[in-house]
Amino acid sequence: MEEPLPRGFPATRHSALVAARSADAAERARGLEVIASVYWRPIYGYLRLRWRRSHDEAKDLAQEFFATLLHGGLLDRFDARRARLRTYLRTCVDGVVASQDRAAARHKRGGGSLTFDFESARAEVEAQTAGSPDAAFERDWARGVFAMALERLRGECEQNGKAQHFALLEQYDLGDQRPTYAALAERHGLTVTDVTNRLHRVRGELRRVTLEILRELTASDDEFRQEARALLGEGGR
Amino acid sequence: MIRLGDGAVERLRAVLREPDLSKTRYRLVGVAGSGGMGTVYVVEDVDLCRRVALKVLDVADGAIEERLRREAQVLGRLEHPGIVPVHEVGTLPDGRAYYTMKWVQGDRLDRHLAGKPALGERLRLFLRIAEAVSFAHARGVLHRDLKPENVMVGAFGEVLVLDWGLAKVLGGRAAVAPASGTDESAVLGTPGFMAPEQAAGQSGSVDARADVYSLGAILRWLGGAAPPAALAAICNKALAERPGDRYPEVAALAADVLRLIDGEAVSAHAEGPLERLLRLMRRHRVAVGIVLAYLAGRALIFFLTGR
Amino acid sequence: MNTILVGVLVGAALGILDGLTAWFTPEARADLGGIVVGSTFKGLLAGALIGLFARKVRSLGWTLLFGTFVGALFAFFIAQIQGKYYLQIILPGSLVGLLTGYATIRYGKSAAAVPARG
Repeated sequence: MEEPLPRGFPATRHSALVAARSADAAERARGLEVIASVYWRPIYGYLRLRWRRSHDEAKDLAQEFFATLLHGGLLDRFDARRARLRTYLRTCVDGVVASQDRAAARHKRGGGSLTFDFESARAEVEAQTAGSPDAAFERDWARGVFAMALERLRGECEQNGKAQHFALLEQYDLGDQRPTYAALAERHGLTVTDVTNRLHRVRGELRRVTLEILRELTASDDEFRQEARALLGEGGR
Repeated sequence: MIRLGDGAVERLRAVLREPDLSKTRYRLVGVAGSGGMGTVYVVEDVDLCRRVALKVLDVADGAIEERLRREAQVLGRLEHPGIVPVHEVGTLPDGRAYYTMKWVQGDRLDRHLAGKPALGERLRLFLRIAEAVSFAHARGVLHRDLKPENVMVGAFGEVLVLDWGLAKVLGGRAAVAPASGTDESAVLGTPGFMAPEQAAGQSGSVDARADVYSLGAILRWLGGAAPPAALAAICNKALAERPGDRYPEVAALAADVLRLIDGEAVSAHAEGPLERLLRLMRRHRVAVGIVLAYLAGRALIFFLTGR
Repeated sequence: MNTILVGVLVGAALGILDGLTAWFTPEARADLGGIVVGSTFKGLLAGALIGLFARKVRSLGWTLLFGTFVGALFAFFIAQIQGKYYLQIILPGSLVGLLTGYATIRYGKSAAAVPARG
C-alpha cells in the first residue's frame, strides 16, 4: 500500500484522508479536522456563490456537511482513481444541497466539535464581486492550504526557537507591502545576508510543509501531483 | 488562524514556485514564461557572467522529470540555429529537475504577429520554422507539439522552435513522453494543431507527417483570414486527414511555400489559365508595369498630337 | 542582373514596342519593318548608355532625367533624318528612355530594391 514518496518530501504524518476513514473514532475526528480546516471556507463560499444560500443557511449546510462526512461514510465512498478529493467534496456538497431541497424538513445533526469563523467568511464572500463560484472554490482551497501550512510552520518555528525566521517570512511575503531586505535587517538587528539566508531557509520549509499537507489531503501519488501543480504550478490556474 | 488576502495567496504561489538556487552557480533574475511542465526563469550564471534560461519543474515529479530530462537530451543532440541550445541538466537542492539553455530575447510567434507583419514576411518566418523541424526530422526527432506558442521570434527575425517536451526519438528506445497511464499522457499535443492520428492516440503510427500537419495548421494560422488560393491549397494538402495525402516530408511543404513566395506555380494547386496569367503578371509586375506605363504614355501622345 | 544588360534588354524591348506603334499612323504603315528595326537599334544603344550611367550614378532621379534626355536625343536624330514628325518621334522616344532608366535602377545589380529571398 505504501508507495515511495517523491524525493524531498518526507512523510512525517499520516494521511488525513486515511485517518478520516479509519475505524477508530478519535483518528476519524483528527483526520476530519485537518480536512475541514482546509475545506470549510471554500465550501461555505461555494454554498453562498454557487447555490445562492443565505449566510445562515450556508453556515448550517456546511456544518451539516462535515457532520455527514464524519458520521455518514461519505469519505468511504471516495475513489481517488475517479476524482480528486477537491472535486469529490464539491460534488458531495451539491448532493447535500439537492437532498436538502427534496426534504424540506431536514433534521439537524450536531456538527461535533468543529466550529468555524463563519462571520469573517461572510464578510469576505459578500465583499467579493468577480469570478465564478468554481474559481472562488479553488482560490479558497489554496488559501486554506497555505493558511494551514503557515500555522503549522509557525508552530514548528516557535518550537525550534526560530520564531524570528517566521516573523521575517510574515513581514516579507504576507504583508500588503514588501519591505526591503535592508529595512527588515534593521528591524531585526540582522545583516542583510542573514535576512536573505533566513528567508530562503524558511521559504524552503514552507514549501516542504505545504507539500506535506497536500500529501495528507490526497489519496494517491497522481492526485498529489495534480494538486501540487494546481497549487504551485503556473498551469494550475 | 492566519488570514490571507488574495494578493498574499498569489505571492505565496510565486514564492513557493521559485527554484532553490542556493549551492548552484545561478542567481534568479526573473520569470521568462511557463509551459505545461514547469516554469522558465531567467537566471544569471555567476561563473560565466551571462544570463541563461532555466527551465524547472514546479513540483518534483518522477514522470514529468523524465520528460524534462529527455527534452534536454533531445535538445542536446539538435544543434541548429533554429533550435535553442541546452547547457546543462541537473537537480536543484529542493529536489526538482532543471536544465539551462540559451536565453533568447524575443516574442512568441502569436505575440509577434500582433505587429501585423506582411504576408511575405510571415511566410518567410514559416520557412525558418520548417527548416528547424526538417533538421530535427533528419536527426530522427519528431516535435509533436508544434504551435505558435512554441515558436520564438528574436529581435533580428531569427526563429527558435521551443518546447520539445513531447518529442519522439525515432529508432530510439522510447518516446520522450511518459508511458504511465495518467490522463495527460493519453493524448499529447494541442488540439487544433495536432494531427488526427495523434489525437486518436495512435502514437505508434505517428511519423514525420504528423509534424507536417501541425506545420500546416501554423501556416493556415499565419495565412490570416483570407489567404491566396495557392496558400490555402498548400495548407489543405498539409492538413489532409490521411497522412498519405499530405506532403511526405517537411522539406516538400517548405519547397511549395518557397515557390509561392517566388511567384512560381505550387505543386498543391492546379491553377486555371487566368489565374496563371495573373500570377505571372504579379511575379513580373515591374516589367508589366513598365510596358503598361509605356502604352499609357504612348496613347496620351497619340491623343495630344493627333497621331 | 548586370545594369548595362538590363538597359540593353529593356531598351530594345521598348524599342520594338515603340516601333510597332507606328502602325497606328497610316502614312508610316508601309515602312513598319524599317521603323521597327531602327527603333529597336535606337532603344538598344540608348539602353546601353543609360545602363552605364545608372551603374555610375546609382540615383533614381538622375537616371530618369538622363534616360529621358538620351531617349529624346536619339529620337531627335531619327526625326532629323525624316525631316518631319518631330514631336511624334521625340515624345515616345523620351518615354522609352525614361522607362529604361527606371528599369536599370529597379533591376540592376546592387540596387537596394532587389527583393530578398527567404
